[in-house]
Amino acid sequence: MLEHYFPILVLLGAALAIGGGAMGFSYLVGPKRPYHEKLDQYECGFAPLGRIRMRFDVRFYLIAIIFIVFDIEAAFLFPWAVAFESIGLIGFIEMMLFLSVLLVGYAYVWKKGALEWE
Amino acid sequence: MAEILNMVHELGEGLFGPLLWSLVWVVIKVVLLLAPVLFMVTYITLAERKVIGAMQVRPGPNRVGFFGVLQPLADAVKLIFKETILPEKADKSLFLLAPLLTLVPALLSWAVVPFSPELILADVNVGILYILAISSLGAYGIIISGWASNSRYAFLGSMRSVAQMVSYEVSMGFTLIPVILITGSLSLVDVVEQQKDWWNIIPLAPMFFIYFISVVAETNRSPFDLPEAEPELVAGFFTEYSAMSSGLFFMGEYANIVLVSFLGALVFLGGWLPPLSILDFIPGIIWLGLKAGFLMFVFLWIRATFPRYRYDQLMRLGWKVFLPVSLFWIFLTGLVLQLTRGIGGE
Amino acid sequence: MMVADVIFYLFATVTVLSALGVVGARNPVHSVLFLVLAFFSTAGLFVLMGAEFLAAILVMVYMGAVAILFLFVVMMLDVDFSMLRRESVRYLPMGFVVGAVMLAELGLMMAHHPGEGLHLGLDNTDNTLAIGQALYTRFLYPFEVASLILLVALIGAVALTHRERKRVHRQDISTQLARTKEDAVELRKVASGEGA
Repeated sequence: MLEHYFPILVLLGAALAIGGGAMGFSYLVGPKRPYHEKLDQYECGFAPLGRIRMRFDVRFYLIAIIFIVFDIEAAFLFPWAVAFESIGLIGFIEMMLFLSVLLVGYAYVWKKGALEWE
Repeated sequence: MAEILNMVHELGEGLFGPLLWSLVWVVIKVVLLLAPVLFMVTYITLAERKVIGAMQVRPGPNRVGFFGVLQPLADAVKLIFKETILPEKADKSLFLLAPLLTLVPALLSWAVVPFSPELILADVNVGILYILAISSLGAYGIIISGWASNSRYAFLGSMRSVAQMVSYEVSMGFTLIPVILITGSLSLVDVVEQQKDWWNIIPLAPMFFIYFISVVAETNRSPFDLPEAEPELVAGFFTEYSAMSSGLFFMGEYANIVLVSFLGALVFLGGWLPPLSILDFIPGIIWLGLKAGFLMFVFLWIRATFPRYRYDQLMRLGWKVFLPVSLFWIFLTGLVLQLTRGIGGE
Repeated sequence: MMVADVIFYLFATVTVLSALGVVGARNPVHSVLFLVLAFFSTAGLFVLMGAEFLAAILVMVYMGAVAILFLFVVMMLDVDFSMLRRESVRYLPMGFVVGAVMLAELGLMMAHHPGEGLHLGLDNTDNTLAIGQALYTRFLYPFEVASLILLVALIGAVALTHRERKRVHRQDISTQLARTKEDAVELRKVASGEGA
């Protein structure tokens, strides 16, 4: 099995080399004429105002948490789908039970309006 | 074919010795994979400008080389010889790391993509799961670039982008579950071979459309290109990038487009299988290329056709339409398989 | 097996170093990114042990989802972490105690069950299949309990963070589509010079 994964490691090295090489080469041969205005962050030509790191809408966290729950659900679905042949009717009913419990949560999230953006 | 391969192996072992040769052979295979992938990535940029140009009744790039065929090379040269700007307030090391983190996962996923039953770099058991896992890492490049730039537009763009990507990752993952149910394996070779009688698009048509729209959203392509909506956010998460470091973001984006087109062709459109068995004489790799090429064309076609979505519409589509529909389809597929198996006698 | 050993030590070193980085980094964002690197190299170690399914899930769930949430939190909460850091020195002794207890527990477990795993007697060539077969037959009950835990997580997250927003414009597609010409448009005849 490991011989299947070795090429992936080599590919990882090659991808890093291509990306890093392209950026490094461009850095070496490109012009370097920095001055303050050029290095300032872009704000439509104005001098930047205020703090950049602001508090963000809590809905972004909420989306991330809901995403984690469904990602884990997907993680359970994959072995279920692969083993579907051999686990029979019980396995099918079991997964439907699992999904229906999560469907209750999904309905709650929907009803509360947590998936709404405006 | 097999004879030539044997000859190459013998020659190589004679030159390098058996142990070193196995390493060199892996390196050769990696190069043979990356060369066409990078070629496609470079040339889909030209295809994009030509196709959209034609759709808007203008010629597109036609100056560099015959028909503009050398345009991507000219673009690359230009990107290389531009100044790499490191903003003063940026977190320098992360700022430079972010483009790499976009490109590397996009290239790494290609390891398990089969071009024919034998032409595959790493035929691992967890094929589809591997692609999903690696492509979920693409979010890091975006989130880090937005934060490290220390710029308002970049930060806003990256936050939007990541929320969008994770939302559609869920539905993309769920659309692949029915396919795995039918196949009973995560290996892409098995997935294609199982489609001998029927391509998966026939029983799973809604899944195919959800898959395709999800990957359009996932690659931040128009009409879901909100993270880089020019009027509001300048260029989104790569506002502060220049030269090759911004070039890597583009390469990553296009490598992902090519990747998901190939994945869609393999999973839903029968991969290298011809549509009719009479057409068997045309090699499988050409069929695969045609199908993936068609999906890439649709990517460009969509961009020329649809106006941009609003963010609330985008989130609603992902969470309130695609998610329930794909869950229902998982149930339906399981039920049908369960019933047919009952008839077949267990 | 030589090559595999070298790769093992490579991944193990990266794991340990990035774990140290998590604790030592000044910037919390760097800490989380070191954590991500630790996850990645651990996934590499899983592959070396033949647990490819777990490796893929580790990358997909922990790197692709959990660590993204962590990053969201530390990037967007705008907490003054240098303050927290100064405070954290006070908890150092407690941290050592917890660490020592965990280390002792791990040591005890290793001493009693050296290299002994759970043997299910299943075909081990495809471990996704093996996990599926075990999880949905023998471990049916814990699997269903997991759904309840996820349910609690979902409801808890919404209950804690979500608040109703007033005075915002929401698009309601069904009301939009239900509008007809009759209730949306009113036609009036206005005599000339009298319109306002």
